[in-house]
Amino acid sequence: MAEQQIGNVIYRVLRAHLVSILILLSGIPLYLRAGELFAAGAVLLAVVSFFMTRGLTRELRKSRRQRRLLEDQLARTHKLASIDELSSGIAHEINNPLGIIAQEVQWIEHILKNSSGDKLKEKEDFGESLKVISLQVDRCKEIVHKILSLAGELKPVIQRIEINDLIDHITDVVKIDAAAKQIQIIREFQPTLPPICSDPPLLRQVVLNLLVNATQAIERDGEITVSTRCMDDTSIEITIEDTGCGIPEENLDKIFTPFFSTKPTGKGTGLGLALCRGIIEKLGGSIAVTSDVGKCTAFTINLPVERPQEGEVE
Amino acid sequence: MSPKPKVLIVDDEERFRTTMCKLLIVRGLEAFSVGSGKEALKELLENSYDVVILDVRMPEMSGVQAMSELRKLDPFIEVIIMTGYASVDTAKKIMELGAYDYMLKPYNTDELIEKIEAAYDRKCTRQQLIGSEQKNTGVET
Amino acid sequence: MEKFAVLIVDDEVDFVETMVKRLKDKGLDVEGVHSGKEALKILNARDFDVCVLDVKMPGIDGIEALAEMKKKRPYMEVIMLTGHGSVESGVRGLQLGAYDYIMKPVPFADLLKKIISAYERKVIEEEREREK
Repeated sequence: MAEQQIGNVIYRVLRAHLVSILILLSGIPLYLRAGELFAAGAVLLAVVSFFMTRGLTRELRKSRRQRRLLEDQLARTHKLASIDELSSGIAHEINNPLGIIAQEVQWIEHILKNSSGDKLKEKEDFGESLKVISLQVDRCKEIVHKILSLAGELKPVIQRIEINDLIDHITDVVKIDAAAKQIQIIREFQPTLPPICSDPPLLRQVVLNLLVNATQAIERDGEITVSTRCMDDTSIEITIEDTGCGIPEENLDKIFTPFFSTKPTGKGTGLGLALCRGIIEKLGGSIAVTSDVGKCTAFTINLPVERPQEGEVE
Repeated sequence: MSPKPKVLIVDDEERFRTTMCKLLIVRGLEAFSVGSGKEALKELLENSYDVVILDVRMPEMSGVQAMSELRKLDPFIEVIIMTGYASVDTAKKIMELGAYDYMLKPYNTDELIEKIEAAYDRKCTRQQLIGSEQKNTGVET
Repeated sequence: MEKFAVLIVDDEVDFVETMVKRLKDKGLDVEGVHSGKEALKILNARDFDVCVLDVKMPGIDGIEALAEMKKKRPYMEVIMLTGHGSVESGVRGLQLGAYDYIMKPVPFADLLKKIISAYERKVIEEEREREK
């Protein structure tokens, strides 16, 4: 590719200066002696080189400018693409429950119009419709709330945290649900882990979210391993691994995108992991996933030990 | 061809498709619902339908995929796409792929029925045309 | 230890009594109530730095109470306690801004540590608001 481009450039420069080169060439009288011819040739070469260098430099500058323009465009496209994704995601997510609500209302209107003598069946129908409506409203509230947290500014409040304690305690929250499914929770904490500077409640949200996902990924009889280790002096790693159904390879890079969800409609809005990533990145860290379908999935969070640069406000 | 249009509703949201069924039935249409493109194809193998209401976003088979598969089974069937979001581009693409029309969620039942009846009219017209062509040319399609 | 104010909200009367006494012994300004309704009433009258709130109570449940508290006293840090542990309440509570979500029984020493951490956070946030 690069050679082609250089070739193109040289061709263009030569072509641009072809006229001047021809004029120079035509200016050399044919009856010049060898020595003078040689000198003329040298001068010609020097002039041509000068023009070529100038031409090449100009081309180089032009292509650098073009590249910067393209990079800017690409960045903007990514942003637009995700805003577009976001708006179509939002519309779809909210319009589904709204669609149901609109239907239920029309159904209730129908019931009212055709009131027969069967009051009991009507009451049941009514009650059910209203319950469904209420549920959809809750769904919408939840979606809007999550969108606002995703879109809104996460303002972390940084404190010194003993990560092992934090994770140990929040893991207790899922122990009953896990036990009900015969899932064993294994803790592998590195004892010499340094305290880190981060936001405790935000981290608790993320870890709990991942633990809940891990519990849901396992039908029955499995293990969830929560581990921590010190990567080096500057960062620590938290891993939550489950022996559950796994994530197919084609979904692995989409799993953190807003509204991506493999759960059946109505269960989960596909915002949890997007929010997790948003939080972790705001705290100056990173989150990644690996998975073996049918065998296991592991989410790994990397966090800086020192005060995160990303997370500081003002 | 039945006097009232027979409608097949395909949407992965159960309550949505069953209530739509009820709303259409009380207005005198025949309606049945299934939860996926795959089920719709199975259903179409056993029974015939005039109009299909198809949700555009479904897990496994998307609405657009389902539409082309359904029309392979029955080229006369008319499809109305149901969507929570339609930009101008999506709408154009949907129509180009052969849908009769599209509807946004939430929808109004009167409007939906109007579209179903119009789609059904078009189906009848197309079938009549092909029928009379066959008579004229004496060729069976 | 700096003197700050803690509100204990739990329908388990013994638990509240014990907590109030032990925290007072540590030199803190402590009050105890037995329902979400009482908690909201007392918050109308005065502010607290940290609140320890039980999730499952008769009347207004913990999550509803939390939402109201965050409106009334947005800087007060809330630590949610739960006896039987509904994971959903945990997720919801943390999303609504609870500082922590803990399963009972919890050793007093651990709870005290968390109360102090919560207070520390309040101080940092208030300072940040002042600097603006």
